[in-house]
Amino acid sequence: MDQKMIIEKIKKDFLAELAAAENSAKLEELEQDFFSRRSGRMTEAMKSMKELDEDAKKEFGTLINELKREMVVKLEEKKNILDNIELQGAIANEAIDITAPKLPAEPRGHTHPNTQVQNDLEDFFVSMGFMVLDGPELESDYYNFTAVNIPLSHPARDMQDTFYIKGHGMDSDSPWVMRTHTSTMQVRAMKKYGAPLRMITPGKCYRNEATDVRHEHTFYQLEGVVINKDITFAHLKGVLESVAKHLYGAETRLRLRPKFYPFVEPGVNGEVACFLCKGNGCRLCKQTGWLEIFGAGMIHPNVLKEGNIDPNVYQGFAFGLGLTRLVMLKYGIEDVRLLESGDLRFLEQF
Amino acid sequence: MLVSLSWLKQYIDLPDSTTSEEIGEKLKAGTVEVDGINNLAKNLSGVVVGRVVSAVKHPDADKLKLCQVDVGAEKLQIVCGGSNVRVGMLVALAKVGAKVRWHGEGELVELGPAKIRGLESFGMICASTEIGLGSMFPLKDEKEILDLTNVSLNGNEGFSGLVNRPSDSSLSAQNDDRAGVPLARALGLDDAVFEIDNKSLSNRPDLWGHYGIAREVAALFNKNLLEYKTKKIVKLKKSALKLKVEVKDIKMCPRYMAVAMSGIKVGPSPDWLKQKLAAVGVNSINNIVDIANFVMLDLGSPMHAFDASKLRITNYELRITVRPAVNGEMMEALDGKKYELNANDLVIASEDKVLALAGVIGGIDSAISDTTTEIIFESANFNPVNIRKTSTRLGIRTDSAQRFEKSLDPNWCPLALQKAVELVKRLCPGATVASVTADERNFQLNSRPIEISVDYFRKKIGVEIGQKKIVGILTKLGFAVKEKKEKLTVVIPSWRATKDVSIAEDLVEEVLRINGYDSVPAALPEFSINSPEVNTLRKLERQIKKILALASDYSEVYNYSFITPETAVRFGDEIAKYIELENPIAKDRPFLRREIAPGLVENLEKNQHHGDRIKLFEIGKVFNAEESGARISEKSDALLPRQETKLGMVFSQKKEGIPYYEMTSDLTKLGQELGVEFELRRIEDSQNYYHPGRSAEIFVGGNLVGTVGELHPVIQAGLRISEKVAILELSLDELNSRIEPDNKYRPLSPYPTVVRDIAFLVDKTVEHQNIVGVIQSADELVYSVNLFDVFEGDNVPLGKKSLAYRITYQSVKKTLTALEVETAHNKITRLLSDKFGVEIR
Repeated sequence: MDQKMIIEKIKKDFLAELAAAENSAKLEELEQDFFSRRSGRMTEAMKSMKELDEDAKKEFGTLINELKREMVVKLEEKKNILDNIELQGAIANEAIDITAPKLPAEPRGHTHPNTQVQNDLEDFFVSMGFMVLDGPELESDYYNFTAVNIPLSHPARDMQDTFYIKGHGMDSDSPWVMRTHTSTMQVRAMKKYGAPLRMITPGKCYRNEATDVRHEHTFYQLEGVVINKDITFAHLKGVLESVAKHLYGAETRLRLRPKFYPFVEPGVNGEVACFLCKGNGCRLCKQTGWLEIFGAGMIHPNVLKEGNIDPNVYQGFAFGLGLTRLVMLKYGIEDVRLLESGDLRFLEQF
Repeated sequence: MLVSLSWLKQYIDLPDSTTSEEIGEKLKAGTVEVDGINNLAKNLSGVVVGRVVSAVKHPDADKLKLCQVDVGAEKLQIVCGGSNVRVGMLVALAKVGAKVRWHGEGELVELGPAKIRGLESFGMICASTEIGLGSMFPLKDEKEILDLTNVSLNGNEGFSGLVNRPSDSSLSAQNDDRAGVPLARALGLDDAVFEIDNKSLSNRPDLWGHYGIAREVAALFNKNLLEYKTKKIVKLKKSALKLKVEVKDIKMCPRYMAVAMSGIKVGPSPDWLKQKLAAVGVNSINNIVDIANFVMLDLGSPMHAFDASKLRITNYELRITVRPAVNGEMMEALDGKKYELNANDLVIASEDKVLALAGVIGGIDSAISDTTTEIIFESANFNPVNIRKTSTRLGIRTDSAQRFEKSLDPNWCPLALQKAVELVKRLCPGATVASVTADERNFQLNSRPIEISVDYFRKKIGVEIGQKKIVGILTKLGFAVKEKKEKLTVVIPSWRATKDVSIAEDLVEEVLRINGYDSVPAALPEFSINSPEVNTLRKLERQIKKILALASDYSEVYNYSFITPETAVRFGDEIAKYIELENPIAKDRPFLRREIAPGLVENLEKNQHHGDRIKLFEIGKVFNAEESGARISEKSDALLPRQETKLGMVFSQKKEGIPYYEMTSDLTKLGQELGVEFELRRIEDSQNYYHPGRSAEIFVGGNLVGTVGELHPVIQAGLRISEKVAILELSLDELNSRIEPDNKYRPLSPYPTVVRDIAFLVDKTVEHQNIVGVIQSADELVYSVNLFDVFEGDNVPLGKKSLAYRITYQSVKKTLTALEVETAHNKITRLLSDKFGVEIR
């Protein structure tokens, strides 16, 4: 066969086979087929050169070298293309279910919803310079009642509202009670720290009340006290408004109405516009548009006196929040008893 | 308490354009909690007065009649089943669209046109109960429709204040042109009734009657309050009866007024009075009792009426004694029940009998009956605390007791008595005053005026209100104000002076609430920059909660502080040690918990089926009678019981044979996070609910802070828990005082470490902690020691265990040679053999 024809044939076959090679294995085969040192077609063609005369040898040599270069380039191009396709395939193959969880599942603990709400409020008040105080839950009748201007004859002292301790009953020399509110800490704090004073005291309280979906004998409150020389009702309003906005957003409206508590004068019932219906009325706010959140007022001079603070020099306000109520509102909990049920099906939701 | 708007309007010149909603809002914003406003007319919408023009038997039903009813503008065909329907009768006709309650039961139903046994009916002739008037017109017979023929009805000209209407004005002559008048208006029920939350009135003795509420409304709307007018009781020159009142304990009864009246004819009250009482939910009984109730609802001062014949000693002498009851004395009250009294109760008595429990409830013996012809009216003032004690103890919550316990104004007594006498004379034309008016009294009101400056209001409120406004508000509320430049002298009116108002702050509230809390702009107080004292215990609690929940998968529970005796016993404790409630809510939970763990174990018991692995914790107070805590007051040395804040943890897991180690590992983790090293020491004689072989006391810096261990098998046997349980208790008060963050940096060595393992057999009783201690302190080249294998059983002799430790050697000065390491390692081997008799494997 004519040498040129051999080259043409090789070239034609190579291009055809190269086009047909669909994966790197086939390409490898192709490469071996043409370039194998033992039996490759190019090797064979080179070998056949020996029989040619010098001129033909030279001519053929040039041609075959050109062809070889061209083939190597083509082969490399094709290889890149196939490699790329195969990499893409491999990547596609590695795709996983990105929604599936890690196995085995990681166990996770939970803090109580009351803890979460309380911590949030503690942080808020600490950021405004308040101390966080704690005190006895089994409290003397004095700190629970007398010190906060609740006289002996007040109905709150009745057995049906207050748990008394055996041997320290209502009529004993030294009555002890399970504190009915966190207001017990008002006078304790005044005596310990004096004025000016900024403090909150969150904690567990008790009322002798039959338990049902809406009532608990054990509940949590957060009490706050601010005392200084020039603290006014306007300040009371400002601080309560800050709390309301912290809890329910910057647009939250606050409404204050008169309410009687023996330890304040004037007394305040603080409501916020219902966060669920924005004040339009819904099931949560019992169609009123308002949620009762605070009890508050300007501290009664008798209470300041009891705390060794001169009511002619200092004045201040006190406020209380039902933490239990805030928790129920926040999470839409309808049965208060769940909070103290210890039921993991409930606790694990927080 | 229910308050009628039309009743209020008798005392205030409110314009008609003022709606009940506006009044309700103002009252809520300034005075009391209004739970609801009941527009009576709204419920009777579509119900009119009808006149039966004809009534013939329904052709297809024996018990039904086919009626034509005149309703003014038209005549309606109505099928009616009323047994008493007849021609000419005035009836309550509910037109199509009105809402009725079928047979007085169930939900309100809107009427549509109906076909009854084939005949069309365009509405319904109603029984009183079907339109909510059952208390005003009680049913005598189930089938009876409401007969309005003899009821005095208002005409179309409108309602004009019932109280001043002559009672004998019979409108029945012109009945016919009443047809078509809305029933609400005809009955004087075109009224709004405010439902006021009694709790919000508890500090206001003056608001328990319409006149008091009217005073508030007048102040809130800046209108004038009309005077409470009464006629003086005629002073008899010669009285028919001699009435003697003796008050044995004037402290319990600061004022007692009484007067006898004769010529009484007991009978039903006129409609206006019935209607007024019905509007505020009070049933009509008879004219005398209704008058007493009316005065109470009007002025707020409770009254009582006795049948005078029961108090006679002679034909002309009557005697009333107000005295403490004798222990064991019995009284049958108007509610039909018999009560046993004691010396703390105050009674109104005749010579030989208890007539009434003072201020609480009347007795049945002296009750007004149909045959009563002579009465005695009582208008008194009783000690509020005493009234509350008696009424609470006996469980009698009457309108009267509810008022007296608020500290009523003794100056109301004559007003109430005069009002009652005046009304009796009007309702019983033959009645006359038959005795001198008795008035026993000894009371003093806090009438000392309050001196207050106008600036004081600004100082308390934060904004100026203005002198004119301040004086205006106080005056409207009945305070007498004298102005001297900016100084005010304020006299408290008697009805506020009993307990409610006594100091300057009270006046600030009065002005502020009437002016509106809304009128005060919010402001924030200014304070010097002081960083608040840190509550380290609270901080520790919060850190621990976070670590346990986030790093060790514990869930937090809140338990009651109250436990049952069964719980104490289950956990091997003696009930006698517990602090007990005098009045537990549930008889079964009378004790205050002494420990935190039992509650958690019981939580675990309840949650057992929740999953294979349960970890719970709680932080709370426990109550301990043996140790003392805070003072009961600054003036006393007496101390409250100690109330320690404790952390409790429980853990159990399916098939976990030694949960102890997970618990101690969690403790170590907690310590690492807190920067505290916990040391465990075997408990020498475990007495409580801890497993004696698997429990330890926890120490920090040599101080006991808690206990960790598995539940004692004997205790566990009494619980419904199948897996082994690990528990941990830490006193956070103790821990808090022991924490000294001491996590110092150790310089990094540039020289390489050499690791050598050591494995040996040793007696089971030898503790890891001691072994580590020996290795650690054996040579300064020891950098760290870690246990990596523990083995007992096959190939290990009984009573022994196999331990393997990895020891890392390193120097900060040089690269260690093989010989140096060998020397140190040999030293350790020797020490372990000497101290614990280990056999190197």
